[in-house]
Amino acid sequence: MITDFVRGNARTNCGRFLSAALVLLSCVVWLPDDSMAARQGEDPVSLNVFPQSIQLHGKRDFQKIVGQAVRHNGVTDDVTDKVQIVVHDQDIAKLDGTRLVPLRAGQTKLRIRHAELEVTVPVTVASAEDDPPVSFQLDVMPVFSRTGCNSGSCHGAARGKDGFRLSLFGYDPDGDYFRLTREMLGRRIDVATPDDCMLSNKATGKVAHSGGTVFSRDSDYYQTLKRWLVEGAEFDKKEVPEVQSVTLMPPSAILDGDGATQRLCVTASYSDGTTRDVTDLASFSTTNGSVASVSKDGIVVAGQRGEALVMARFGTHTVGAEFVTLPRGLDFVPEPMPVNNFIDARINEKLNKLRITPSGLCSDEVFIRRVSLDICGVVPTEEEVENFVADEGSDKRSKFIDRLLEQDAFVSIWVMKWSQLLQIRSYKNIVSQKNALIYHRWLKEKISANTPVDKIVVELLGARGSTFTNPPANFYEMERDPLKITENVAQSFMGMRIQCAQCHNHPFDRWTMEDYYSFAAFFAKVARKPASDPRERIIVGSGGGKTKHPVSGKVMEPKFLGGAMAEVKGKDRRVVLAEWLTSKDNPYFSRNLANIVWAHFFGRGIIDEVDDVRVSNPPVNEPLLSELAEKFSESGYDFKAMVRDICNSRTYQLSTEANETNASDLTNFSHAYLRRLPAEVLIDVIAQVTDTRNKFPGLPLGARAIEIANGNTTNYFLETFGRSKRESVCSCEVKKEPNLSQALHLINGKTVEQKIRSGNLVGKWLKEKLGEEEIIQRLYLRILGRMPEVAEIENITALFEDTEDQKQKKTMLEDVFWALLNSSEFLFNH
Amino acid sequence: MSNSAKCSDHLLSRRNLLTVGAIGGLTLSNFFRMQSACAEQKFYESKEGSAKSVIFIFLPGGMAHQESFDPKPWAPLEYRGPFKSIETNLGGVRFGELFKKTAKVADQLTIVRSMTHGEAAHERGVHNMMTGYRPSPALQFPSMGSVVSHEFGPRNNLPPYVLIPNEPNEFAGAGYLSSSFSGFSVGADPADKNFRVRDLQLFEGVTSERFAKRRKMLEVVNDHFRQREQSDSLDAVDTFYNRAYSLISSQKAREAFDLEKEDPKLRDKYGRNQAGARMLLARRLVESGVRFVTLTYGGWDHHDKIQDGMNKMVPSFDQAYATLIEDLKERGLLDETLVCVTSEFGRSPKVNANAGRDHWPKVFSSLLAGGGIKAGQVYGSSDATASEPADNPLTVQDWATTIYSCLGINADKELMAPGARPVEIVDGGRVCKELLV
Repeated sequence: MITDFVRGNARTNCGRFLSAALVLLSCVVWLPDDSMAARQGEDPVSLNVFPQSIQLHGKRDFQKIVGQAVRHNGVTDDVTDKVQIVVHDQDIAKLDGTRLVPLRAGQTKLRIRHAELEVTVPVTVASAEDDPPVSFQLDVMPVFSRTGCNSGSCHGAARGKDGFRLSLFGYDPDGDYFRLTREMLGRRIDVATPDDCMLSNKATGKVAHSGGTVFSRDSDYYQTLKRWLVEGAEFDKKEVPEVQSVTLMPPSAILDGDGATQRLCVTASYSDGTTRDVTDLASFSTTNGSVASVSKDGIVVAGQRGEALVMARFGTHTVGAEFVTLPRGLDFVPEPMPVNNFIDARINEKLNKLRITPSGLCSDEVFIRRVSLDICGVVPTEEEVENFVADEGSDKRSKFIDRLLEQDAFVSIWVMKWSQLLQIRSYKNIVSQKNALIYHRWLKEKISANTPVDKIVVELLGARGSTFTNPPANFYEMERDPLKITENVAQSFMGMRIQCAQCHNHPFDRWTMEDYYSFAAFFAKVARKPASDPRERIIVGSGGGKTKHPVSGKVMEPKFLGGAMAEVKGKDRRVVLAEWLTSKDNPYFSRNLANIVWAHFFGRGIIDEVDDVRVSNPPVNEPLLSELAEKFSESGYDFKAMVRDICNSRTYQLSTEANETNASDLTNFSHAYLRRLPAEVLIDVIAQVTDTRNKFPGLPLGARAIEIANGNTTNYFLETFGRSKRESVCSCEVKKEPNLSQALHLINGKTVEQKIRSGNLVGKWLKEKLGEEEIIQRLYLRILGRMPEVAEIENITALFEDTEDQKQKKTMLEDVFWALLNSSEFLFNH
Repeated sequence: MSNSAKCSDHLLSRRNLLTVGAIGGLTLSNFFRMQSACAEQKFYESKEGSAKSVIFIFLPGGMAHQESFDPKPWAPLEYRGPFKSIETNLGGVRFGELFKKTAKVADQLTIVRSMTHGEAAHERGVHNMMTGYRPSPALQFPSMGSVVSHEFGPRNNLPPYVLIPNEPNEFAGAGYLSSSFSGFSVGADPADKNFRVRDLQLFEGVTSERFAKRRKMLEVVNDHFRQREQSDSLDAVDTFYNRAYSLISSQKAREAFDLEKEDPKLRDKYGRNQAGARMLLARRLVESGVRFVTLTYGGWDHHDKIQDGMNKMVPSFDQAYATLIEDLKERGLLDETLVCVTSEFGRSPKVNANAGRDHWPKVFSSLLAGGGIKAGQVYGSSDATASEPADNPLTVQDWATTIYSCLGINADKELMAPGARPVEIVDGGRVCKELLV
C-alpha cells in the first residue's frame, strides 16, 4: 500500500514530525474516509513483537517476526510490515524478507521500532552450518498434515483413499513409513528418480490425483519431500525430539472492523530445548469465520462484530488465540458498573473488551421466581412474593438466597444432577431396581451432608466390595466396559470427550491414542465377582486385566490424562487416579464442577457444553472460570458457598431485557437468558400451583419428580419435555427444545386439565366469595409470581360472559388458569 | 442457478425470519446487518418437485445387502450366506429368497447396489444417512426431514415432518436449524391395539368455543411477556403452538393419524404388525399432506446368526413394503411420493464365526421408488463378493442430493448455522440423473 511505503520511509529518514505530516497528507490524498484517517493517524501506546526471543539452530532454520501495535482503547493493528528492524550484529543473523536467518553462531538482539516505541528481541544462533538430513517424523510428516494428505477426508480415512492410507493426522509414524516405502515396494517412492515417482507426481498433480495438485514443485513442501527421497528415504535412526508445546502469536487481538488483518506466527518447542518456526507447517482454523477468518498461511481477516478463537494445529498440539472484531471506529465509553462480588468484576472486564454494557437488575418479582426455581425447583408462594416485594431491606435478596439454601429441595436438585452424571438407573437385568435405590440413597446422604465433592469422587472411583453393602461400588455396574468407564470419568469429572482418541489422535484436541489407552489403564484391573444374591456383585480393583494399545500392541501403564505417569505399585490404580483427579495437579476437576454449577444458574456454561472442554472450545471468560474454580477448591469444595457467590452476583440478577449493545450477546452473560424449565421441575411446579400431587411409579404419592431415584422411572410428560434418560453421562441427555408434542400436551393433555380440575382452587376461592378480579390476581401471583396489570385484567374479563352462575364462573376462571399454565412466561425461567 | 439477488426476499420470508432468529436472538438491527453479508450465501428457491412427499424407511442396525437386494448366488458359500436367491419381475435381477413380495414390485423400483461411505460405526453411519453429511464434532447437521420442513413448511395443517413411532436417533432432529424444524413423533407404535396419537383432541368438556376463548386469554397473557422478551426459543414455542392449533382445528388433519379410518382389508394386506402399521400410517400421512415421514422398522445388526435374524425381520417388511408400493400406485400417489429404504450400512462380505456378518459401509444396497425415480432398474453394482462397488458407486452426498432434487430442493443451497455460518444442505453432492425418470 502506498501510504505504508511513504510512512515507512519517512520514519526511517526524517524523524517523527515529518512522518506525521506525511501520514496526514497521504491520508488526505489516498484515503479520504474519515474513519480510515482516524485509524491510520492514531499513535499506538504499546508495541508487541513476536516471538519475544529467537533461537536459530542450523542452516535451514529461520524465524518470522510479527508486530502488533496496541491503541489506547485496546484495539490492535498489525504492524508487521511497518516496523523497522535492526539486527545488532549483522554478521550473526540477517533479515531475509520477513524471516530472520542465521549467519554464524553467537548472540545478538533485534531492535524493533514503530512510532516512537521500541522492543528488543534477544537472538541466539546455536549454529549456522548444521544441515542434518531431512527427518521423516520432524519434516516429512508435518508436510502431510499441513497439506491435508493425512486428513480424514483424504488418505487419513480409516481405509485410506484410492488404495493409499496414512494415519489420521499422523498418529502412527511407523505405519506411515511402512505404507509409503514398503507396502507396495517400488510403487509409491523411488529414491533413484525422486522427481518422477508416484509420491512426487501425485502431490504435484503431474498424474491424475483425486486430491488434485496439493503443492507445486517449487514449494518448500516439495523440496522437503524431494530431499528426503534424495537422502535415501530413511526412517529416523534415533528417537526424534518431541514437540512439547506450541505457541500461537499474537495470543489475542482486537480488530478494528471488517477487513482489518493480523498475521500469525507459530513456534514449536521441542524436548531437546530447541524451538522452530512452524507457521508454514501448522494448519489454521477458526471457531467463527464470519468474525475472524484465517487463511492457510495464517493471516486473520476481520469480519462482522463478535469474538472468535483462531487455532493453529501442529502435530498433536492445538493452540488458540482470542480475536475480537469491533465495528470500525466504534466509540464506546464503558459505564461504571456496580460490582457485588468477583464474578461481576470478571464479567465486566470481558464486556468492556467487547464494548458491551450489561442490562439492568431484574425486578424483585423476577428475582424471587428465578432464584426459587434455580435453587429449589419451585415457584415462590403468593405470600413469599408479597412479603419479598414489600421488604425494604437492602440485603433481602441475599437473605432469601440463604433461606433457600437450607431447604431439602436444594439437595434434591443436585442429587438429580449427579444421578444424571452417574447414570443411576436400573438397566436390563444387569442393574436391579434395588441397586439403583441403594446407590441413589448413598448419593443423597453425601450431598445432604455437604460432603466435599473430592471425597465423594474418591469413594466412588475407589469403591470395592459388595454393590449392596458399599453403594458407590455400583459406579462399576452402571457401565462395565473399561474403555467406556474411562471415557465417562473424563467426561463427568474433567468435562472432556476423549472418545475420538480411542481409534485415532483426537482431531480437535491434544489427546493421542497413547493418552487415551494409558488413561484407560487405570481401570484395566477392575473385575466383578458374583455374590449369593443374583442382583449383588462384588467389585474387585486388582483383577488381572491389561490395556493394550491397538496399533502397537503395547501394554499401557497408567498415566494421568494431561499429566505424568502414575506410581501405582502395590496400590489400587483407581484410588491413585481418584486422588490425582481431585488434587491440585489436575486443573480440570474444580473447573469442571464450577462450570457445571454455573451452567445450572445461567443456562449455559462458561465453557459450553459443560462436558465439551477442548482447546477449540475455550471458556468465554477464562479469568472468571479460574477464579470460580480456585475459590471452590480452596473452600474445600463448599458447594453452598459457590452457589451463594453465584446467586448474589449482580450478573445472576440481571434482567433479560437487552439494551442496544448486548442484544446479540448470547454467550457472555451480559443479560439473563430465557431458559425453559427442565421437565422434572416443570411437572413439579404444575403440581405446586394447582395444589395437586404427582404420582410416579414406585414413589409415594406427592413425591417430586426431582426426587426420582431410578432413571427408568418416567411418564409421558417427563419424556415429552426431555428429561435425562441417564443412558449416557452426556449433558446433552437433558433436552430443552420445544416441540409439537409438548404444545399439544399442555393444550389438550391430562396433566394440565386434570390438575386444574382436581386441585379445584378456583372452586375453593369462589366458595370463599372471592371476586373474579381477585381470583385472577391470585392466579397470576401463584403461577407467574407477579400481579397482573390493569390492562391484562381488563382484557381477560372482557372475554368473560356476564353471569352469576357459579359453575359458569368457575369454567371461565379455570380457562384463565389454563392460559397461565400454557403461557411462555410460565414455561420459562426469565 | 445460484441467485444471490433473491437474498432479501429469502431472508424476509416469515419462515426464514425464524431461521435468522436461530442464529442467536438477533435484533432487527443485527438482522439488517446480516442481509448485507448474505450476498455470499448461496441461494436457490425451493419449489415443489416431482416428489411431493417422501417416505423414508430406515432399517436400523445395517441390513445385509447379500441377503436382501444384492445376492451373490455364484459366490463361495462363506460369501454367499445361508439364503438362496429368487427371480424378480425385472429380467435377470435377483433378490434374497425372503423378499418374495418385493420381488414382484421390483419393476417399480430403482435398486441401488453401489451405495458407499466410510463410516463403520452405527452412530456415524446413521448420521450419514439421516443428514447427508459425515459427522462433525463442530456442527450438528439437520436431518433431511428437518431441511424439508425448513424449505417448505407445513401443508394442509399437518406437521411437515413426522416420525413413526419416535425420533429414531439424535440425528433425525433439526441440528443447527431452529428446533421448530424438528419432526413430530407420533409417540406410540401404530401396531399397538389401542394406538392413538395423543392430545390431538380437545379435552372432554372443552368445546371449540371454549377453546377459542382460552386461546384469546393465552394471547393476553403472552402479550405481556412478548413485549419484553425476544428469543429464538420463544419463537419456537409460538411456532409449535400455532401448529398445534391448526392440527387440533382440522378434523381432516387429525384423521390422517387415525388408522381406524382405514379399510380393515387393506390393514390386513399391509399386515397388522409393526412394519405394516407403520407403513400404512406413513401412506395416510403423505396422502393428507405430510411432506416427510421417517419410519423405522426392526433391528438388523446381525453379528450373530444372520439366518435367524433375517427370517424374523424380513417377512413382515416384505409384505408391508410391497403393499405400500402397490397401494401408492393404485391411488396414483406413487408418482409424487418418493419411497426410500435404507440402512446405515451393509454387512461384511464373509460370514463370520458366529454365523453373522459385521458392519460394512464400503458397499451396500438401498431402494428408491416413485416421486420421479426411474422405475425398474438396477443402479450400480458391487463386485463378485459384494465387498466394493464395481461400477457407479453412489456416495451419500449424491444420493441425498438426488432425493432433494426430486423434492425440488437444490442441495447446494446454503442454510444459516450459528455464528452466521452458511452451510450447504449437502456438501458437494451431484444429482445422479441416471436415477431419475
